[in-house]
Amino acid sequence: MRWFWIDRFTEFVSGKTAAAIKCVSQSEEVVDEYAPGRTYLPASVIIEGMAQTGGLLVGQMSDFKARIVLAKITSSKFYCEAYPGDILNYRVEIQSQDGIGTMVNGTSQLNGKPHGEINLMFAALDDERFTNVELFEPSQFCRMLRLLRLFEVGVNADGSPIAVPRHMVEAEKAYLSIG
Amino acid sequence: MPINEEVFDKVKEALVDALGVDDDEVTEEATMVGDLGAESIDFLDIVFKLEQSFGISIPREDLFPDDILTNAQYISDGKVTAVGLEKLKARMPFADLSRFERNPLVQDFGNILTVKDLCNYVITKTS
Amino acid sequence: MRFSQLDRITALELGKSISAVKCLSLSEEYLQDHFPRFPVMPGVLMLESMFQASMWLVRASGKFEKSSVVLREGKSLKFQGFVQPGDSLVVHCEIKSVEGSITNLKVSGEINGKSATGGRIIVDAFNLADRQGVDPAIDEYMKHKFRMTFKRLCNQLDTQNLAALANNPLLAVAQ
Repeated sequence: MRWFWIDRFTEFVSGKTAAAIKCVSQSEEVVDEYAPGRTYLPASVIIEGMAQTGGLLVGQMSDFKARIVLAKITSSKFYCEAYPGDILNYRVEIQSQDGIGTMVNGTSQLNGKPHGEINLMFAALDDERFTNVELFEPSQFCRMLRLLRLFEVGVNADGSPIAVPRHMVEAEKAYLSIG
Repeated sequence: MPINEEVFDKVKEALVDALGVDDDEVTEEATMVGDLGAESIDFLDIVFKLEQSFGISIPREDLFPDDILTNAQYISDGKVTAVGLEKLKARMPFADLSRFERNPLVQDFGNILTVKDLCNYVITKTS
Repeated sequence: MRFSQLDRITALELGKSISAVKCLSLSEEYLQDHFPRFPVMPGVLMLESMFQASMWLVRASGKFEKSSVVLREGKSLKFQGFVQPGDSLVVHCEIKSVEGSITNLKVSGEINGKSATGGRIIVDAFNLADRQGVDPAIDEYMKHKFRMTFKRLCNQLDTQNLAALANNPLLAVAQ
């Protein structure tokens, strides 16, 4: 089981909102045999999908330099299950922020109908306790963002496209120059 | 003086919601950090819920006077100085700082705020 | 169940509470993504562990009569500690109230006795035949499969716990 819980971004407005889709498939390891007989996508990984959508929205505000992690699921509620063949549409919005964390709220739609709602809190790892901790290698992180098509749909508040951050471009170049 | 019941109920609702504690754990005397287990990440949530519930705006430094507590001018040997204490009292007239004053260790400040203090604060903001 | 986020159930009191353990191994494939340079158990999987323990408690307390036990709500769930490879997350779930198909639980998780997570969850227990009008045979199959998995997870209950279980109807339920 890998750890990508959205398939692609469909909308991404810096500092404001992001939308992503997630298709549910029988062949996913988490789906297969989760409730054998009538398998479904576990709610926890639906929360993770919205957390990835929201976490990257928060991370983009620092050009993906802040080490953003999920600190709290303030609330989450689901009306029904997502079965293989269903399509989930996640939408998240930045709600409020202080020096400690960022609150994000979101909704999930299943085949176009309301499916769930969520409120999450993200925090950046502090330098005091996590001095030399790095979450991603920058070129790998960049590849993931490209995989999710973030730069293809992402725009800044003024409507201009979000550029790949310079430090990531450099890391990519350095990676490609090896061997 | 008994605190306004309506205010208390709304504050309680916000705390139960944000901290996942039971109704009966939220008493007037309960401290936010020690008794109710609030951590720094919870305060953004609590502040947001109070702002929504009471239609007020809560500047962070009202409840978390970090600027005073980290200012060398007001701290000596890990304790808040007399001048610093006056500053804190002026900033937080709603809070009962008498216990903290006896041994004003900066590290203990985070645990002085009680549910009652929070209610009193909300009342000053709404009246 | 391939998405099992529990390794064993260590204590169980029907209708009341359950304790269970999840050990994190570096061989978990998802750790290469979460995160490549800092492998830790994702917060939502800590939630999943607490949900699964709650699910077993609700299933066993309801004598395995419901095929489906799903997570409806998760509230004030905090992640204060990172579970790293080699750590064991010990979860504890306690029923606060039951109303019809809905069970309200207080859940928590710790590593080496130190609190790592906790909050509230609400689960919903039902049969698909009643909710979605499917063939009851599907419910029967699901109940059977869950009973089997439960027995496996409980096989490792220590003798003291086994003796305690023998005194309540659970063992009969799981047979």
